[in-house]
Amino acid sequence: MSLERSLRISHVGLRGVVGPGGLTARHAIDFSTAFGTFLEPGGAVVIGRDPRASGVMIGEGVKAALTATGHDVVDLGVVSTPVTQHAIRRMGASGGISIGASHNAAGWNALKFLGRNGTYLSTGEASELLDIYHLRRFRFVPYTGIGVVRRETGALDAYLDELAEAYDFDRLRRFKVVVDCCNGTSGLILRRINERFGFSFILINGRAEGVEFAHEPNTSARTAGLQLAPLVKPLGADAGFLFDVDSDRVSIATEQGEAVSEEMVMPLIADHVLPKSAGKLIIANLSTTALLEEIAARHGGEVVRVPVGRQAAMDALATHRPEQIALAGEGTGAVMLPRFRFVYDGITSMLDILSLMAERGQPISAILDSYPSYFMLKGQTALVSRNIPTLLMNLQQDYADGRASTLDGLRVDWPDQWFHVRVSQTESIVRVIAERRGSSPRELFDAIMERVL
Amino acid sequence: MSGAVREHNLKIGVSGIRGVVGEFLTPALAADFAQAFGTYVGGGRVVVGRDTRSSGLMIEHAVACGLLAAGCEVVRVGILPTPTIQVYVGATHARGGIAITASHNPAEYNALKLFNHEGLFFNSYERSELMDLYHQSDFHHATNSEIRAMSSDLERPVAMHFDRVLAHVDAARIRARRFRIGLDAVNGAGSLVSQRFLRDSLGCELEAIAVDPTKPFPRDAEPTPAVLSEIAGIVRDRGCAGGFAQDPDGDRLAIIDETGHVLDNDDVLALVVDAVLARLPGDVVVNLTTSAAIDDIAKAHGRRVYRTPVGEANVVERMRAVKAVIGGEGSNGGIIFPPVQYCRDSYTGMAFVLDRLAATGESLSTLAARLPRYFRRMGKAAFEHGRLGPLMQAVEAAFPGAVVDRSDGLKLSWPDRSIHVRASNTEPLMRMSVEAWDDQVCQELFDTVRAALSR
Repeated sequence: MSLERSLRISHVGLRGVVGPGGLTARHAIDFSTAFGTFLEPGGAVVIGRDPRASGVMIGEGVKAALTATGHDVVDLGVVSTPVTQHAIRRMGASGGISIGASHNAAGWNALKFLGRNGTYLSTGEASELLDIYHLRRFRFVPYTGIGVVRRETGALDAYLDELAEAYDFDRLRRFKVVVDCCNGTSGLILRRINERFGFSFILINGRAEGVEFAHEPNTSARTAGLQLAPLVKPLGADAGFLFDVDSDRVSIATEQGEAVSEEMVMPLIADHVLPKSAGKLIIANLSTTALLEEIAARHGGEVVRVPVGRQAAMDALATHRPEQIALAGEGTGAVMLPRFRFVYDGITSMLDILSLMAERGQPISAILDSYPSYFMLKGQTALVSRNIPTLLMNLQQDYADGRASTLDGLRVDWPDQWFHVRVSQTESIVRVIAERRGSSPRELFDAIMERVL
Repeated sequence: MSGAVREHNLKIGVSGIRGVVGEFLTPALAADFAQAFGTYVGGGRVVVGRDTRSSGLMIEHAVACGLLAAGCEVVRVGILPTPTIQVYVGATHARGGIAITASHNPAEYNALKLFNHEGLFFNSYERSELMDLYHQSDFHHATNSEIRAMSSDLERPVAMHFDRVLAHVDAARIRARRFRIGLDAVNGAGSLVSQRFLRDSLGCELEAIAVDPTKPFPRDAEPTPAVLSEIAGIVRDRGCAGGFAQDPDGDRLAIIDETGHVLDNDDVLALVVDAVLARLPGDVVVNLTTSAAIDDIAKAHGRRVYRTPVGEANVVERMRAVKAVIGGEGSNGGIIFPPVQYCRDSYTGMAFVLDRLAATGESLSTLAARLPRYFRRMGKAAFEHGRLGPLMQAVEAAFPGAVVDRSDGLKLSWPDRSIHVRASNTEPLMRMSVEAWDDQVCQELFDTVRAALSR
């Protein structure tokens, strides 16, 4: 995507390529000033960032804006978003800002706004924040009320204390695991887990980098196959994991050295948590594998399908009681658990998968082999907005024999296959996904792609 | 807003950006201005320091954000006097510097002072180019790979500054006298630095007040006689040889003699000019408001005096052009000594005064009494927009027959007296200054000017 017009301001915050025509210092300051105005006056705000060089620039602007609106700032430095979220709750802070562009390339950055207890903002709260931003209804404090900035270094350990309580570290530390950290925050976290808890994570691309990452920071099977998968078998490791830069997403390589689609992360975790969970609902977006329904059925669970995007998942969560939910997530390898108050965290996803391996006493490849095979094809084309409604209507008519959902673009389901056509929220493209049980959905996929092109 | 005179809580102009923090001087404004500055200096290393105002750190974050966004490498030097920052910028060959300080303005204000690669205030041409760039919002926006690092250098700047000042006085002779000295640093940037300078470098025994940089300003920020009674009493009662008072960013200096009398700012400058001309050959540059005493002193040393519009940048520009050895602005306690840096520096002033005391063995009051004696009155008055011209004309009409200089407001001179009336660069005020050989003449002049202005 070009540098020009990359900026996107939405309910989940703002995101763009840092530089001309994209995300600028002024955007970061104005939006953070809106956030400082939005929060109750006086409370502290926790901030953390991923290692991108632009994060320092944005962080300085964020600190200025928050202190000018009367908030003390607790600066965690380079940490993952879940560590920031954990610190917000532990400190009883009013909210937080996580600076980092997750799975986007190094040139990108983004601000994610977090409320009390470290939760993502609800749609209503996010709308209010956007209104303050657009109307420039900022509330500054007089010079005597300006907040102070404090550096805090204990947040990672406090977060790890909670993980150590939630997982059986004595069992898990016996695994030999290779991790591709993509020069992001997971390297800092896993190195500390090795130090404190005697794990033997073998890190590649483990150094946090600001300007260039070893490879694209996504968690696709293709990326997992680049550097990670070929190392697992020669090292005699039990599994390999690939994280994106702020370690909310994860994908897997088996002990056989096979890169696994990130789509498998959510089914694996569902398989692990459903038997133990009182809540039986799985919140998943419409683009996520249908294998989930099969796994849910095995354990008496049920899948609630929602539109793509974190905000849709949050809206769905808001309409249920937390104890009804087993997990929520998406096929990108981002999963959130009620135990950790619904935070996308690749580290807990990895620990859940390792726990499943420990409990089953099986290698990861064997667990995956126990699932029926699903084959997924993904494609995209440039967006022509005015053609979309007709396109979707025609597709729905032409595939009227399937069960249609128009929650987010169009998804049509048959017993053994489905397709989903939707407009991306982050890029100007149309995404097409098709999946089939037992064999490739090539025929369906090609037919849909032809229509979309 | 009250009456016909509008509030000026924000001023964006040739002296940079200055305003009441909060609704007026916002983080976005500070960051934008810093980004314009970073764009103007073309990236590279930029030094950022501040005084002790409670808004200082907030503005510093905003400034760092704007500079980084412009692709500059940011070096933070923390809380430091402005002259120390200027020395450091020049000595380390940085691309520029920003001091976050509203100088002598009250605590609710803050401002950015902008320095070029030599650590000097921008000249008028540079300033207007920067303002154009700011108004056009034509900023460089660095991409992730162009964004440079941020670092700190907290120790070296003070040492560099002290070394330069102490090279020009006989420090050993001063130390040998073990002067007892009063110090009032207004809890500003000089709080710790001035104690180090006077106690550790010059061997003084200190009677210090207002030297806690974490506390608010205990008096008006501007070190005028009216607000220095506490330190003046301490100097008098505890047998001090003299006392020094600074403004929050340590560029201005007020001096108290051993009797507790606060010296006139023009006398402070005159003392230092006399001391410098006794050591070094060269001419003098002062602003139009500065006392004619400087002319008398320069004449005694066979040197020339050049006069410029008010403002440090104007004085510095002329000093460089005529290669002056000393300069300053008598009206505001600013002493500029090029071998240290082309900037107002209270530390140079302290060092030269102590050097004179040590060299002559005389008291401060004696040294001051020997200066050419002029009587002065200063005042200020609010004015309505659009009334500036008529007011100036009214003053001129009231005093026919004077030598007229219109290079900065209106200066009217006679052999034995002068009047200077001008609009402030930093506040919505008219400043008037009157000087005469005779106290009664001075009072009459002052009353006539005031009457003309209030018509």
